[in-house]
Amino acid sequence: MQTADPKADTHSLLEDAQGFIFGTAMCAFALVMLRDLGLVTGQTAGLALLISYMFKLPFGWVFFAVNLPFYWFGYKRMGLKFVLKTFACVALISVFSEVFPHFVSFETLNPVFGAIMLGFMTGAGLMAIFRHGGSLGGIGILALYLQDATKFKAGYVQLAFDACLFAVAAFILPLPQVLYSLLGAVVVNLVIAINHRRDRYIAM
Amino acid sequence: MLDRSAFLSYMSPMPAPFPIPQNPAKHTLFEDLQGFSIALITTAIGLTIIAQLGFITGQTAGLALVISYLTGYSFSWVFWLINIPFYALAWFRMGKEFTIKSALCVTALSILVAVIPKWMSFDTLNPVFGTVAFGILTGYGLLGTFRHKGSLGGLGVVALYAQDKYGIRAGIVQLCFDAVLFTVAFFLFEPSRVLYSLLGAVILNGVIAFNHRRDRYIAS
Repeated sequence: MQTADPKADTHSLLEDAQGFIFGTAMCAFALVMLRDLGLVTGQTAGLALLISYMFKLPFGWVFFAVNLPFYWFGYKRMGLKFVLKTFACVALISVFSEVFPHFVSFETLNPVFGAIMLGFMTGAGLMAIFRHGGSLGGIGILALYLQDATKFKAGYVQLAFDACLFAVAAFILPLPQVLYSLLGAVVVNLVIAINHRRDRYIAM
Repeated sequence: MLDRSAFLSYMSPMPAPFPIPQNPAKHTLFEDLQGFSIALITTAIGLTIIAQLGFITGQTAGLALVISYLTGYSFSWVFWLINIPFYALAWFRMGKEFTIKSALCVTALSILVAVIPKWMSFDTLNPVFGTVAFGILTGYGLLGTFRHKGSLGGLGVVALYAQDKYGIRAGIVQLCFDAVLFTVAFFLFEPSRVLYSLLGAVILNGVIAFNHRRDRYIAS
């Protein structure tokens, strides 16, 4: 039973905080699986993974650094509150994804099961972050900015980016890893496409 | 089909703690299936993690874990069998659809917890990390199950029956059950195991208490 009953249409600060911690922890746990299996994913996280694989750099730092240029676009397009939330989420993921591998590692992890699982978990994590008005920054913001400036649809910018990313990954990863990565990316996008409905989860 | 909060407001003179939408959007069968798949697999991973660490949790799943640790029988079978008596009560109190959905969810979860260790096992698993991960994963899984009008059967039905019949609030019945379960566990297992378990149970309930709001997630 709800005793304290915050308004239905707005999240309190505490509610946002638990949403972001939940969302980033889910995504970071999925990243542990992703790196254990040697897979990539789409968007800025995928770019950071590729860079970290190619140059043997810690993912958390690369992800944090890769996102830095995009905050300016985020501020221009979406405002200060969104940028601060996004910055907090990116920072949490960067820290969690460096810390979690000390606490959890896999003895066996079936790649098909792992790809589907990390798709579910990343989908859940991203959806929580979106529902609380945050984001994981990066390409999505740039895509929205470009859409405003050039009428080029944001979805196509993201799709083109992912296509380039997977094309590069196809050269540096073994074929099965590329296919498992694709499976994971499809699952993430399906989870969000089916469940991220502003008409059903109505709080902002 | 009445969900739990609607049921509470319908069955008792207590007003609902928040207004429940009258004509919420319906989930399609496909949406329910994907919802249950995601929710039950995530719940099962949470349970796999605490089973590997030897921790327990509350409710019927917790009782099943305690029995499986004491007897050596697999959690899946114990959990599946323990739930059977509750279906009879659910059939009469909550209706056919609720009972069948519960039985399907419980069966799917039992199978998943049995097969997941073949696909996923841990090399290192820090106990604090594990119990927090359990709370988050299983809390999320239960939330998904509830939002799609499923249930993991068991004690919740008895609690609602007690509320209806004797006027004891359902939440109090569940809390008492968990209190007894954890007290017994303190005598059976090392205290550290029970304390870690408590942390996970608190986080699980926190995830649900914060996020299970019928006024925010309005589809049914």
